[in-house]
Amino acid sequence: MAAMSSETTVNNRMNLLGRFGRLGPILVVVATALFFVLPLLAMARFAFQSVPMISLGWSTLFKRWSFEGVTKAFKDEEFRTALGLSLRLAAGTVALTLALLVPTTLWVHVRIPKARTFVEFLTVLPYVIPPIALVAGILPLKPHARWFLNSNYSLIPFYAVLALPFTFRSLDAGVKALDVKTLVDASRSLGAGWGTTIRRVIVPNIRSAIVSASFLTAAVVLGEYAIARTLLKRTLPAFMQQYQGREPQGGMALALAALVGTTALFALLSVLTRPRRAREVDEPATTTVTRQAMA
Amino acid sequence: MRTKRTTMVIAIVLSAGLALAACSSDSADTTAAPVETEAAVAETEAAAVETEAAAVETEAAAAETEAAAAETAAAAAGGDLTKLAADCTTEGQVNLIALPDEWANYKGILQSFRDKYPGVKNPVANPDASSKDEMEAVKTLAGQKDQPDNVDVSPAIAQEMVAAGMFEPYTPTSAGDVPASLKDPAGNWVGSYYGIMAFLVNTKIVPNAPKTFADLLKPEYKGLVALNGDPRESGAAFAAVMAASIANGGSADDILPGVKFFADLKKSGNLGGTDVTKATMVAGETPISIDWSYNLPGIKADMETAGFTTALAYPTDGVYGGFYAQGVVKGSPHQACGKLWMEHILSDEGALGYLGGGAIPARFEALVAAGKVTEEAKVNLPPAELISKIAFLTPAQITAAKDVLAKEWGPQVADA
Amino acid sequence: MRRDRSWLGLVPLLLFLFLFLIVPAVSVFQRALTDNDGNLGTKALKDAFTGQNFDAFEFSVRLSAQAALVGVVIGTLLAYAASVLRRPRWLRSVVTSFSGVAANLGGIPLAFAFIALLGRQGLLTKILDGLFGFELYGGSFTLDSTWGLTTVYSYFNVPLMVLITLPAIDGLKASWREACSNLGGTSWTYWTRVGLPVLAPSILGGFLLLFANSFSAYATAAAISQKSLIVPLRIGFYLRGDVSANEDQLGFSLAAWMIVIMAISMGLYWILRKRAERWQR
Repeated sequence: MAAMSSETTVNNRMNLLGRFGRLGPILVVVATALFFVLPLLAMARFAFQSVPMISLGWSTLFKRWSFEGVTKAFKDEEFRTALGLSLRLAAGTVALTLALLVPTTLWVHVRIPKARTFVEFLTVLPYVIPPIALVAGILPLKPHARWFLNSNYSLIPFYAVLALPFTFRSLDAGVKALDVKTLVDASRSLGAGWGTTIRRVIVPNIRSAIVSASFLTAAVVLGEYAIARTLLKRTLPAFMQQYQGREPQGGMALALAALVGTTALFALLSVLTRPRRAREVDEPATTTVTRQAMA
Repeated sequence: MRTKRTTMVIAIVLSAGLALAACSSDSADTTAAPVETEAAVAETEAAAVETEAAAVETEAAAAETEAAAAETAAAAAGGDLTKLAADCTTEGQVNLIALPDEWANYKGILQSFRDKYPGVKNPVANPDASSKDEMEAVKTLAGQKDQPDNVDVSPAIAQEMVAAGMFEPYTPTSAGDVPASLKDPAGNWVGSYYGIMAFLVNTKIVPNAPKTFADLLKPEYKGLVALNGDPRESGAAFAAVMAASIANGGSADDILPGVKFFADLKKSGNLGGTDVTKATMVAGETPISIDWSYNLPGIKADMETAGFTTALAYPTDGVYGGFYAQGVVKGSPHQACGKLWMEHILSDEGALGYLGGGAIPARFEALVAAGKVTEEAKVNLPPAELISKIAFLTPAQITAAKDVLAKEWGPQVADA
Repeated sequence: MRRDRSWLGLVPLLLFLFLFLIVPAVSVFQRALTDNDGNLGTKALKDAFTGQNFDAFEFSVRLSAQAALVGVVIGTLLAYAASVLRRPRWLRSVVTSFSGVAANLGGIPLAFAFIALLGRQGLLTKILDGLFGFELYGGSFTLDSTWGLTTVYSYFNVPLMVLITLPAIDGLKASWREACSNLGGTSWTYWTRVGLPVLAPSILGGFLLLFANSFSAYATAAAISQKSLIVPLRIGFYLRGDVSANEDQLGFSLAAWMIVIMAISMGLYWILRKRAERWQR
């Protein structure tokens, strides 16, 4: 023992502390894991078991389980309309966002690097105007722009605004990881125009950034409620809220599907965008983008 | 400053688009006018006879005269009904809102409309919407093709809508049978059905059902009492507070004791806090619901499937009856169908539909006189002696009550 | 010359933000300052801070601060656990991946989830009553009280805090810990003199972010409660004419104040974040 170096002693001491001190952190992890899983279990029980909570007991625990609520919900015509609308809005928002931000991000990185902080600041602005305040501002404008705001698709630009922090951060990180100037110069000197450069040189290299930006945008659009509710557009969240009043089990099943579906999609995204190169940050893209976007 | 000017520029540019849209909708309105004027002429004849017997519970003789006059008027306007039906079939759809299936048997009434007029759809948006939500939908969706063509709102909201000019006045052919207290003098709306406030009790969870409002305060009902919405938005909740007020020393002129009653109910923890919907009833979350008596027959079957038994208790200390007003929305996308729907709910099929659901149709006396009401159809109705006690609120009373609620409900109950 | 024209490349973004963010924001303030007769005045802005409206702000601020505090504490602990526990090697990546997902969950489905769990007919409510005899709704607890909503909001606040704090905790170099104990310090000294001060900007920044996030949450609150004491809900009620008719201006004033509060929170957060980044280089 005495022959060991002081460093090892320190390590042993810390390991000792570590061993007892491990209990605390483990408890924290287990408790939070429970906290995150229990609501999902409760939803599943409500959605798939037709026994009212009052009558639930050990004897009825395994009775009357069925997927009837879910199938009924999926067959509902209004559900399909709402889902269709939300999906189309998501696709439109993703398209608008990418069309607007990919060139802009590129331009900022290549031509005006000094403007980066300014653009970062711009993309934080949507946080300052939360959705309910935004829609409060939209309502007085309705008489002036009725032909635009009457359409369901008028939600697209507003959703793009809401998703801006995430999308910009994602694309920004993606472009930052490339040596953009060199790539662009090389491409241009070989005779390609801007369009070709973007399409065939830049985009394939920031594919994971584009994919994660798209997923995050879709998540924002599929979950947005304040604006849709106030403007009475029949999107998926608005439908879910109404449907729950009529068909409690179906509504709960849909909500469960939404939560599980979103988690699965993000898990898929994490796998797809897992960094392959050593020098990249060791965490999935969603985590990076969400973390960086919160600024 | 610069932003304001830019906004103005945008406004001007986009107003051009608005103007174009406005121009096209104007032409649609003018074609609808001729049909209306004929119906209106037929109606003034019926109305003249009717003004002489205008109470809710009219004598059978007076009802007969009314029925006879209405029949001649109907015969005169009968041709209009066929034209209306034809116009509606061209339009193809009537946008309805806030009509739950289990509310006064709207399921049956919607179906009988589809049976009578095949080819016309009657989709119902947002069945659990409150009356306030309906008014907002009409406002927000103005100019869109899913704007409601017809609304079914509480008298309080109907008042607001009339003041805002949101109704298209239309007097249906059978409106002659409707007592004056159930229709707007200017023809903006008609109250096609009415009912009485009651306790809808889930007797499996609450074997000892409450019988009076005073009973509701008992500790055994902790967390079990529920309202059908917020009285500032929903007609059913408004009526519940009014009924509670009458039971606690208030009156049609004074809703404050009712607010105080619910404040006490909330403080003691008896007021559950969840709004009543079919879902909450069937899940057993709202075992004691203060709601219209005609809302129970529609959910009885589902309650029994869930393993619950139900009972209806009419509170003896607070008898309150109220109606709902239906009217055609001004400028809505399907005007002919909106009017046809009005015709339908006041027709025999419509009225008998309401009756089956436990509501009292506005033309009840006329139907009874014509021998169209069987004993079994009356099975869901409230007791006759309670019906005779009903006195609808006057517009002034409604306004006064709304003001009190706006000021007091929030601080005393909702946010307490 | 050339540099000036380069800035033109930002025009699409600027135009887009102008039309769909700035114009509505300006219209909020414009409507807050103009009454029904068209006169300018700050009366509504002042009224928005009195009476029932003030109660609403007070409730919302209290709720958001509480939710943020809970999120900060649990989030930091979880991040610390994820950083320190090396043994289940998949633990850290699971925690980070899950946090990336859960921070973006919320809204209607989340509200339904907690109604199913902790509502009057909730699963946990029933379990607590049946197995432990503890009546969750026996006291003054409801899902739309500050504690109820705090619990619900924690579902996305805790992961968010983990995401913010984890890099900072990783940045706590082991050598600092060793140096501290070599100099005779205990765990307590380490944390109070080294650890927490370094983490402070991240933790405070996280608090502000969670506060802003909770304050502006609409969908989750709307599905759980009809309480008009929650400012975003209250604004929604005003916009639909539910509080009192013709009081539009008050609604816009509430929205204006909300924007102000958010601006202050996010501004402070931005400053703290820049400071925190210093330690991570």
